[in-house]
Amino acid sequence: MSTVTLPTAASPAAAEPKPTLAEVLDRLRGPARMLAAFIAALILFGIVIALKGVNPITAYKDMFTSTFTSWDSIAGIVVRSTPIILAALAVTVPARAGLINVGGEGQMIIGGVSAMGISLAVDGALPGGFTLVLMILAAAIGGALWSLFAGVLRQYMNISESVTTLLLNYIALDLMFFLIYDRWKDRNGTGQPTTRALPVSERLSLIGWGRVHSGVFIALGAAVIVALVFRYTSWGFRLRVVGGNAEAARRSGLKVGALLLSAMAVGGALAGLGGLTQLAGAEFKLRSGFIATYGYIGFLASWLGRHRPMYVVLASLLLSSIAISGDSLQLDSQLPAASVNVLMALILLMVFGFGTKRKAAA
Amino acid sequence: MSLLSEVLTGGIRGGTSIEYAALGESVSERGGVVNLGTEGAMLCGALAAYAVSFETGHPWLGVLGGAVAGGLLASVHAFFVLSRGANQLATGLVVLFLGLGLTSLFGVTYVQALAPTFSEVSLPLLSKIPFIGPIMFEQDPMVYLAYILVPVLWWVIYRSRWGVLLRAAGERSEVLTAHGHRVIPIQYIAVIVGGMFAGMGGAHLSIAYTKSWFENMAQGRGFVAVAVVMFASRDPWKVMAGAYLFGAALALSPALQARGYGINQFALDAVPYVVTLLVLILLSRRRRDELPEGLKKVFEQSMAT
Repeated sequence: MSTVTLPTAASPAAAEPKPTLAEVLDRLRGPARMLAAFIAALILFGIVIALKGVNPITAYKDMFTSTFTSWDSIAGIVVRSTPIILAALAVTVPARAGLINVGGEGQMIIGGVSAMGISLAVDGALPGGFTLVLMILAAAIGGALWSLFAGVLRQYMNISESVTTLLLNYIALDLMFFLIYDRWKDRNGTGQPTTRALPVSERLSLIGWGRVHSGVFIALGAAVIVALVFRYTSWGFRLRVVGGNAEAARRSGLKVGALLLSAMAVGGALAGLGGLTQLAGAEFKLRSGFIATYGYIGFLASWLGRHRPMYVVLASLLLSSIAISGDSLQLDSQLPAASVNVLMALILLMVFGFGTKRKAAA
Repeated sequence: MSLLSEVLTGGIRGGTSIEYAALGESVSERGGVVNLGTEGAMLCGALAAYAVSFETGHPWLGVLGGAVAGGLLASVHAFFVLSRGANQLATGLVVLFLGLGLTSLFGVTYVQALAPTFSEVSLPLLSKIPFIGPIMFEQDPMVYLAYILVPVLWWVIYRSRWGVLLRAAGERSEVLTAHGHRVIPIQYIAVIVGGMFAGMGGAHLSIAYTKSWFENMAQGRGFVAVAVVMFASRDPWKVMAGAYLFGAALALSPALQARGYGINQFALDAVPYVVTLLVLILLSRRRRDELPEGLKKVFEQSMAT
């Protein structure tokens, strides 16, 4: 009798923790597919630069050696990825609620401008560390207000945030130009107009590895916090409900408007912090190429990491190294640095198109 | 020339590239696909037009080249959105990056080049009309082509059989399917035609407006085109008006500076984007109801991983 009952009692218990072979294969297929998509993008980019008469194998070798083979160059990747991680998280949080924030670029600029404004207003009258804290707050608030504007337009006027955030990027850029060419121009400077540099006491400290500054802790800390908030707080859960089906969320009594606005504001605050790390950690002054498309690269990184905070960090590191390897393309292969945009775009397209099983056409 | 007529003349001149791109985006959106890569298609069109015009010596061949290049880039968008189910808005931006990178890669050789370009042609009789004549009819040939395109496109969208199919693809694709039509091919055509128009817009930018090629020269005009399409409700006549409005805002800056107003140049540079945003806000109320059904999904449930 017992031989009959034993297997039926044991099999459900055994089947639950142990996934079937098909499930294991499915799980393995994800990364393998991503890798295949990545390689396909590298091959396509190789063809593109071969059309320009550059040997792709030499170019890839140069890109790889200049980007990865020394501790200093790896430190360079970390420095570059610091604002990009924050810019990517600025896309990730609104995306959780189904919003598309393409305004990272402008929000970063506003963050940098707000922080610089504090430094200029304080003018050394306060201890540097205290001013830096004020600058951090100002950057986050400035970025949040800038993105909140797009959030309000979306919530109350039904204007797509994907379009308004893009327009706001150009307005932010012109605002910064106005300041550095006019009000905040460093009269002692030569060449391209800039603001004065931040005093050393108001900068983010170096951590003793190349030019890596403590902003990297802001970026990684933000990623960890976002991941925890997504997983463990009701706010994070509600954002996902809204992002999944706003109408259902509304009917089940969630305050959809407040959730959308808060997601947008948090996104902008993160981007503003990204602008701050770039200002107080790397550039020290506002100049015309201050943010240099980091906001857009962050957008790509968030989508590459499928809006999951830890993957987004990895994607930011990957895209930062590609952005840096663009310098090698320029120096070793005499191609314009912007050519790496092609490689980034191809990687994203391959991952969008082939990284997962095909979804039903929208 | 008075300030008003200078701004209006410049508005048509500067708005024409956006007009082409926005007309194209209207076609694409009528079919239910938003293409933020319009900016990239404009860049590709601008470079291809300048390069073809330079190599062949014929600006009209350049326009053709611009249309082809814009259509090719849009076909990338169409493939990933329609055949691979990727998110429209994100794919559009990635396609923009592709266009940005490709044009800076292949455009270096043409930065210094002097290609044959369009110049203004006064139309007989019409340009003699007081006030309106010099504003509307002393322009380059691509401006006149755009005048003709607007009513033609209006007719195609609202009166032709193809327009019915196009609008059905964006509004009620299941009805099309029920009548035995395939939706995806119609949408492919809409997106690619949209990209070709955007490419022509880029062509106007490089071989008629600035008469040069430089990296990232569209400077957000493709995004503005998408915004114009939004507040113009995909209607060609309103698209034309919106594009000229942006152009007029662009023309305001040099016109004021020439008159010695001491307004900061960058404050003026922001005016066109601020105006676009303001018009979007002012005309926001009625817009949602007019949005094709297929697009409501895109703008209101954009999340897709």
